[in-house]
Amino acid sequence: MDHILELQEVSKAYRRSDFKLDKVSFRLPYGAIMGFVGENGAGKTTTIDCILNTIRKDEGNILLFGKEMRDEDKELRENIGVVYDGDNFPGYLNPAQLSDIMGGLYKQWDNGLFLDYLKRFRLPPKKKIKTYSRGMTMKLAIAAALAHHPKLLILDEATSGLDPVMREEILEVFLEFIEEEEHSILLSSHITSDLEKIADYITFIHEGRIILTASKNELAYEYGIMRCKESQFKEMDKEDVVAYRKRDFQTDVLTADAKKAERKYRDVVIDRVSIDEIMVMLVKGERL
Amino acid sequence: MKGLMKNNFYAAFSSARVFAAIMILLGIFVTAMDNVIPSLLIGYILSVIMGFSANGIFALEKENASRWRKYKLTAPVSRKEIVGSYFINLLLCLLIGIIFAGIFTYLSIAIHGFPFDRNTDVLNLFAVGISISLFMGAIFFPLFYFGGDEIVEVAFLAISLFSAIGIVMGIVSLLNRMFGPKMTVEEIIMGACIMIICSAAVFAVSYPLCVAIFGKKEY
Repeated sequence: MDHILELQEVSKAYRRSDFKLDKVSFRLPYGAIMGFVGENGAGKTTTIDCILNTIRKDEGNILLFGKEMRDEDKELRENIGVVYDGDNFPGYLNPAQLSDIMGGLYKQWDNGLFLDYLKRFRLPPKKKIKTYSRGMTMKLAIAAALAHHPKLLILDEATSGLDPVMREEILEVFLEFIEEEEHSILLSSHITSDLEKIADYITFIHEGRIILTASKNELAYEYGIMRCKESQFKEMDKEDVVAYRKRDFQTDVLTADAKKAERKYRDVVIDRVSIDEIMVMLVKGERL
Repeated sequence: MKGLMKNNFYAAFSSARVFAAIMILLGIFVTAMDNVIPSLLIGYILSVIMGFSANGIFALEKENASRWRKYKLTAPVSRKEIVGSYFINLLLCLLIGIIFAGIFTYLSIAIHGFPFDRNTDVLNLFAVGISISLFMGAIFFPLFYFGGDEIVEVAFLAISLFSAIGIVMGIVSLLNRMFGPKMTVEEIIMGACIMIICSAAVFAVSYPLCVAIFGKKEY
């Protein structure tokens, strides 16, 4: 399968911080949405910054459309739409002026499409961006990212801080975008409910390391949480335990194969698991 | 590059339009006043040239309030082009300042007569204004890329301006020492040219330096 984005053991350390990205690897296929999940400070933005070349990686390879992107590779950037969390554009501009600037930056800039999105998102084109609410600025950033016909959308916490109605509206736009087979989205978020709705793949990052990458269906239908007693936990095979958390009288065990576990541990209750729960288990839980 | 230039234009325009309005009113005032004592005209020429240049530079600082500086790096433009667009922007702002100064100096002289001792005095004033502006840019841009903190940038602008004034004063002193107290017209013109060439050379050298610093910068 071809991949629009591939990270191979990407590492990045900072002189003034203990934080580092440690051999981050994952692959995003064409025509798919990948949710990039992790708690605040886990390394989501650093990874995205490495992908987009706004920071320099120390080691590893990042392939975009099969090529390593350098500063001079403008053609590759034509095909990437980016949305950052917060204010993407200067407040002294209005959307009409922004469109004028973007038209000079991107060869494929489509002013008509941009205006359509402004209309759809109910964004006034002549109003200064600094007067926009947070939700409006995020919608504007999404409109700008889509209006140059990118093939890959990279969104860093694009839905955080938005109300559920706005998030729903934006997720719909992402689903429309992905209808084209060549289009893909990398969506970093800690709002896992959004990812459960639209993502095909989920990649978990914790303390700069990828701790799990799997398809959403695999997580939804194959993963499970075993609720067991201490004695039952002690008898479990190591291979059945992805992570575990001890509570007062119970131990929660995350397993990658709930069906197998059902057959194997007949007296253990096994629940379906949400992405949120998987994240908490992976981050807070212990490994055998 | 076109998009970057437009971006710089909008950034500079948002701050320079107020400055331009004040300079037009001040220009009308300078033109209306008798220029027997030319200090008002001298002050106007220098302030309008340096002021527009400072506006062009200061516009960059406004980008820091958003993620725009980082966002631009994801667009199909190289870091070299981003730096280049700032240098061109300063030159354009300088040109606007020169045009403003030229128009109101011409009007003042046309209405009230020539207020200076020699024709070359006007040339010198323009040369000083242009040189200070170029030195200011040449010093500010590397500091801007090296530092990059919003509060520091205001300080950088002040440091650049005062350093540029100091350098130009230093060049003027050297020229005076070189040519002596009674300079000929040719020597004055040569002095003005030396000043502009020096500042232009430093401005030109500042560009690759900025590209090198910006190339290593992470956002």
